[in-house]
Amino acid sequence: MCSTPAVPDAPLTTHTIEFPYTRTLGPVVGPFLTGLRDGHLLGVRNRDGRVLVPPLEWDPATGEPIDADFVEVGPAGTVETWAWVGEPTRKHPLDHPFAFALIRLDGADTGLLHAVDAGSPDRMHTGMRVTARWKGERIGHITDLTFVPEEAR
Amino acid sequence: MTPDTAEPDADGPVTMMDYFMQLEYHELLCPVVRRYAEQLLDGKLIGHKCPSCGLVYLPPRGYCPICVVETTDADEIELADHGTVTNYTVVTPVQYYGQEETEPFVRASVQLDGGNATMNLQDLVDVPVDEVRVGMRVAAVWKPKAERDVSEISNRSWGSAEGCIDGWKPTGEPDLPAEQFLGKAAF
Repeated sequence: MCSTPAVPDAPLTTHTIEFPYTRTLGPVVGPFLTGLRDGHLLGVRNRDGRVLVPPLEWDPATGEPIDADFVEVGPAGTVETWAWVGEPTRKHPLDHPFAFALIRLDGADTGLLHAVDAGSPDRMHTGMRVTARWKGERIGHITDLTFVPEEAR
Repeated sequence: MTPDTAEPDADGPVTMMDYFMQLEYHELLCPVVRRYAEQLLDGKLIGHKCPSCGLVYLPPRGYCPICVVETTDADEIELADHGTVTNYTVVTPVQYYGQEETEPFVRASVQLDGGNATMNLQDLVDVPVDEVRVGMRVAAVWKPKAERDVSEISNRSWGSAEGCIDGWKPTGEPDLPAEQFLGKAAF
């Protein structure tokens, strides 16, 4: 906006833009989130019989529509890969350090990306077993649960 | 007001989801805007007058985009805090998230006396919506000095004086002819 450099002691100004959307969920994500609210993890079976979690309306491999053939999976699963989040921001699902992990839930053929509340990266390893920890009050949102190491239950 | 959010139905299927996005910028105020904000706190509206074409920019931009010349403190002028409504829009508020207005209100462009400088999206006070006219003479209603606040001024809030001016009220002077303003571009 101007060519002169900002003076170092100038105060910062905060400028916030908000987009408060509400979106419809459709025939597949809707039941998935309804399941979360009710304490169930759901996947869908594609035409090859593979179970996709989270469920999708279209098969990402072939582009074919997927019938809403829901299968309950989990609540435990195996960590396929993970990354430690040492400094969570306020937008993260937990307010203390945690791992984002791809979790292949029991009965599923794909990985679900979710948070694992493991306390320390020393307790994380690929192949470890984790299980769902449900919130007491659930609204039908992916944040209705987090995962914890299975031995911690 | 209460945000218009997806109300969870305790038993029925979940069909909607809040999908809030928020972008928060922290930035240094550009020096010319900072000067503008400081002067607002002091109850003054300032602009830069282009040394080449004479157009006045409020708030100062530090350059004239038409002449492509820099403007500096030497080009600063103090502007009148009264002027004329050059055009306006009546907004009928829809109660979307964040909307605080409930009744129809006006957003007006006010050309300050003594030049071309125009403040846009200004609130008019002490005048019913259906009595607003192009050509109407108005004066700024400054907040008391202790209540003035420039925290809403950003590098993009060109011409904003919210936080320092409550709005503009009719002075009671005779209107200027509307033809003087309609169909003209404002700078």
